[in-house]
Amino acid sequence: MALFHFGIDKAPPSDTSTSISEASKAVQSPLTLVMTLRSPEDFQVLHKRIKEIQSAPPERNPIWVALDKLKIVHFARFVFLENNTKLAIITTYDGSFDDYLNEFIDEIGDVFNVLLQHMKDAPPLPVQRNRGAFRDYIKANDLGGIAPFYSAYPQATVLDIQAALSQT
Amino acid sequence: MPDLPYEDIQGFILRTYAMPILRVIALKIEQAEPARQVLGGLVDGSNGSAGTADVAPKLATATDWTVKPQYCLNVGLTYAGLAALGLPACSLASFPEEFVAGAVARAERVGDTGESSPEHWKDPFASPDLHILLFLFAQTEDVLAQVTAQLRATYSHGAMSELSVHEARSLPESKAHFGYRDGFAQPSIDGGLPSAMPDVLPKAPAGEFLLGYPSQYADFTYPVPVPAALGQNGSFAAFRILAQDCHGFEQFLADAARQTGLDPELIAAKLCGRWRNGVPLSLSPHSADEQIPMEQRNSFDYVPSGSVPDAFDDARGYRCPLGSHIRRMNPRSSVVAGNGGLKHRIIRRGLPYGPAYDPANPDDGIERGLLGLFIGVSLKDQFEFLMSDWSNKGSFAPGLRNTKDPVIGNNSASGATFLVPMENQKHPVELTGLSRFVTCRGAAYCFLPSATALRYISALPDVPLS
Repeated sequence: MALFHFGIDKAPPSDTSTSISEASKAVQSPLTLVMTLRSPEDFQVLHKRIKEIQSAPPERNPIWVALDKLKIVHFARFVFLENNTKLAIITTYDGSFDDYLNEFIDEIGDVFNVLLQHMKDAPPLPVQRNRGAFRDYIKANDLGGIAPFYSAYPQATVLDIQAALSQT
Repeated sequence: MPDLPYEDIQGFILRTYAMPILRVIALKIEQAEPARQVLGGLVDGSNGSAGTADVAPKLATATDWTVKPQYCLNVGLTYAGLAALGLPACSLASFPEEFVAGAVARAERVGDTGESSPEHWKDPFASPDLHILLFLFAQTEDVLAQVTAQLRATYSHGAMSELSVHEARSLPESKAHFGYRDGFAQPSIDGGLPSAMPDVLPKAPAGEFLLGYPSQYADFTYPVPVPAALGQNGSFAAFRILAQDCHGFEQFLADAARQTGLDPELIAAKLCGRWRNGVPLSLSPHSADEQIPMEQRNSFDYVPSGSVPDAFDDARGYRCPLGSHIRRMNPRSSVVAGNGGLKHRIIRRGLPYGPAYDPANPDDGIERGLLGLFIGVSLKDQFEFLMSDWSNKGSFAPGLRNTKDPVIGNNSASGATFLVPMENQKHPVELTGLSRFVTCRGAAYCFLPSATALRYISALPDVPLS
């Protein structure tokens, strides 16, 4: 089963099994997005750009600002792979990506507009105007993981954890 | 602000009619060409036989009123209906997939399972023969009977056949069957008509409710079905017949009051987010303060915001629980997963059906509920999102665990609970014994065509029904 939950959160077959199946299902999902760069030159340009973005203070780092607002992403990291021919974005996020696709694009779409300029088989840009194609691209390039996905706290969302930590 | 062509837009998208009577007529198209002519004739009221055009029923648009009419007629078309009308394949293929799939296919996603599943729906809602829904709002029973007769005269000569008729009538004090005064929160639409009830939230862009205008999402307009004459200024609606278990609801309030020692009216308010008179807990957490004027009962936010800078900060839900019905369906500026608390608004139309619940005669065996229309430019991002994410999950807001909307959620599983956060208490009060108080008894996904679209359909060339 693909771990990227594109609208597959169907209700269980019968009403009585709801609580059992929901209790055993993590609210979090992994994203292992691996995108292929167009060329070594694209790597050079993109590497420089990502370093600029990531070296900015958090309040001016557009990735941090967006993820702080979205409140669905637990962790996110960017890694160049395979001799700098690929860029991976690895995250753990809450819920179904499809449900929050529009909000995700609204908050962080411009970052993807920068990244995807350098990727092979990129969807049409800007992603804001090509939302379905962006979703399909993410789906096609998400490697997911070998199930099961481990979580130390499978029922806790970003919102739950932040609320618990701020409880006095 | 967009300059909206009111004369092209179906009236119930932009206007609260505030009429006491609603009759919904479900129709099957028998012959495409005469059916197209009937639909086209509704636009200018030309369906009457020669010389009697003045008594032929006419589509209600959003054109401004000088005098409130005696009735308002609106039309919804299912995907099967559009196909039966002979729309070209390229047009049919341009509609969004959830509308094409229809309410039956999407039932699980919105929680219409178990007793609410399509196999239990009233006829003809699970049937592919359901093509057209006519929504006839009227001021009096006489007008209703008269316009119904006129309508029947237009389609009963082989164009369409009637599959079913559904009646709804307002209850005293604009109440819905669980006893709450209804109809407070409706979005104000940029370029739309003034709201009946003032709305302090930011105006919704026209494209959140009408095809062909920029939407609530950045740099995005929902794709308009082609040709533009068909899609532009149209919208979509989920029509639903929702049966309400009044006895079960009152029993739950009584039982929960016994369990917790709380006043049953306070519990009723915590479930809904409003006292039964419509006063929101956010404005009056301890009593159903009648002194708050009706027009101020929608002027609130859950946390200080641009709209209501001096709002009480109720981030933890001590006044209005985060899981209450109105806070789930319209979280306003509350923190929610995805930061989209203001991006899934919906227009609600409809009226109750069945007589008012009489506590002295709880087991009268009469079905009562709501004939509801839930209107938005995207069934998927508005109606379906509200049902699947905000009604039937708990992960979108902090601390809800796996609870569901206590009023409309699918709480049929044993052990369903509702959480009431209490100030100075580490854990919320947990109400048990919920059941499914609202059961779906029929649903249809409808396209709400513009006047131009109905004229376009009436001019389609004749092709035989397959």
